[in-house]
Amino acid sequence: MCQLRFQRDSRVAFLALLCLVPLMGFARPAGEEEEKFDLKEVIFTHLGDEYSWELLGGAEIHLPVIVRDDAGEWHCFSSGRLTDGKEYEGFYIAHEGSYAHKVVGRTLAGEEYRPLDFSITKNVVAIGIGALLTVWMAFALARFYKRNRFKAPRKGVGFIESLVEMVYQEVIVEVLEKDARRFAPYLLSLFFFILLSNVLGMMVVFPGGANVTGNISVTLVLALCTFVVVNISGTRHYWREIFWPEVPMWLKVPIPLMPLIEVFGMITKPVALMVRLCANMLGGHLIALVLVSLIFLLGALGDAVMGGTIVVSIIFSLFMNVLHLLIAFIQAYVFMMLSTIFIRLARE
Amino acid sequence: MSLFTPEFGLVFWMLVIFLILLGVLGKYAWPVIIKSMEERAAFIDQGVEFTREAEKDREQAKADARGLLTDARKQQLDILQQTERTKQEIIDNAQQTAAHEARRIMESAKLSIEQAKTEAELQLRRQTGLLSLQIAEQVIRRNLASEEAQMELIDQLLKEAGE
Repeated sequence: MCQLRFQRDSRVAFLALLCLVPLMGFARPAGEEEEKFDLKEVIFTHLGDEYSWELLGGAEIHLPVIVRDDAGEWHCFSSGRLTDGKEYEGFYIAHEGSYAHKVVGRTLAGEEYRPLDFSITKNVVAIGIGALLTVWMAFALARFYKRNRFKAPRKGVGFIESLVEMVYQEVIVEVLEKDARRFAPYLLSLFFFILLSNVLGMMVVFPGGANVTGNISVTLVLALCTFVVVNISGTRHYWREIFWPEVPMWLKVPIPLMPLIEVFGMITKPVALMVRLCANMLGGHLIALVLVSLIFLLGALGDAVMGGTIVVSIIFSLFMNVLHLLIAFIQAYVFMMLSTIFIRLARE
Repeated sequence: MSLFTPEFGLVFWMLVIFLILLGVLGKYAWPVIIKSMEERAAFIDQGVEFTREAEKDREQAKADARGLLTDARKQQLDILQQTERTKQEIIDNAQQTAAHEARRIMESAKLSIEQAKTEAELQLRRQTGLLSLQIAEQVIRRNLASEEAQMELIDQLLKEAGE
C-alpha cells in the first residue's frame, strides 16, 4: 500500500516536472544568437557515414582517411586535416552534389572526382566494435563451458546461452535437421552480429550511435554472404529446379523463360534480406532523429512551443525506441531465420 | 540517393571484418558452445533416465523387502508354534517318565514293605515259637502237680508274655 502510494506520488511528480518544462523555456536569456536548423542536413549526416566520430560534448575522434587518387597513388592521413572544409593533399570533403559528405579530389582539369576510398570511417569502426563484442560474447560462453563442464550458466552468460539456445535449437535444428551443425556457425555469427550492431546503433553515444545495419553497404555484404552460402551448399536438385524445372517444355526450350524467372528469384531472395534489414533500421534511426529534431524545428516558433514539443517528443521517442528495440531483435532474428530457410531450400 | 548506394570502401571493410568474425567464431567458439550444450543436454537426459531406473529399482527392492519380511514373520510364527509343541512334548514326556518312575518306586516300596512284613511275620512266628518253647520249658521244668499250679503258671506266663 505504501509503495503503491509512493509510486503514484513519483509519477505525479514526474508529470509535474514535465509541465514545468515549457515554463523553463521562458527563463532562457533572450538575445542569444539562433543558428539556422537544417533538418535534412542533420538527419542525413547522422544516417550516413562520417570520417570522424563525434563524442559527447563536441569532442571528436579523427579517423584515418585512406584514399587512392586518380594517378594510382595511395594517401593516408587523419580526417582531422579535412575538418571545416580544409583541403589536404588535394582532397577535401564535398558539401554538396552527388558526393556530399565524401572525400573527393580534383583532377588536373579541375573536375571533382571520387577517389578509391578505403577510409576507416565511423561505420567501419562501429562494425569492428560490433564484431569484437560478438567475439567477446561468444568466447565468454565458450570459456564458461570449458571451465564448468555440464553446468548451466547464470546471469549474463546465461542470457547469452538462452539466446544461442533459442536460435540454435528452435530455428537452426528445427529447419536444417542433420545439416544444423554445419551451418550453425555461420547463422549464429550472423544473428549475433546483426543483433549487437542493431542495439549498438540505438545507443546515442560512443561506442554506439553509428547507423551500421541501416547502411546498405553492410546489409549488402550480409546478404551476399547468405547468397554465397546458399548457392555453394545447393544440391543437384536445387540447381535442377533452377535450370530445368518440371514445367511444360515450351516454357524452357526455345526461350528459357522459367530458368530466367528462377535465376531472378535466386537473386531477389538475398536482395529482399538486404533491403528489409536496412530499411527497418534506417527507419528506426530516422524516426528517432526526426522526433528529436522536432524540438529544434518547432523551437523557432517560440519558447513555449519548444517546451511543449520537448515533452511530446520525449514521450514519443521513448515509445518509438522501445518499439525499435523490439524491431532490432526481430530483424536480426528474421534475417537469420530466412537465411536458414534459404539454405534448407537449397539442401532439399 | 546516397543512402542507398553501396560504398565500395565500406563494403570492403565490412566483408573483411565479417569474414574474420566468421572464421574466428566458426573455428573456436560456436563448435565448442554447441558441443557443450548438446553434451550437457545428453548428460541431463541420461541423469533423468538413470534416476527413473533407480526409482524403479528402489520400488522393486521395497517390494522384495516387504515379501521377505512377510516370509520371515511366517517362519517365525511356525518356529514359535513348533517350539511350543516341542515344549509341550518334552513336558509331557517328563511327566510320563516321572509318573512311571514314581510308580516303579512305589511298587518297589510296596515290595520291600511286603518283604519286611513277611519277615516280621516270620520273626513273629519264630518269636512265638520260641516263646512257646520257653514257656513249655518252664512248664516242663516246674513241677506241675496240680491243676491249680498249672493254671497259675499259665496265667503268670501269659501275663509275662502280655507285658
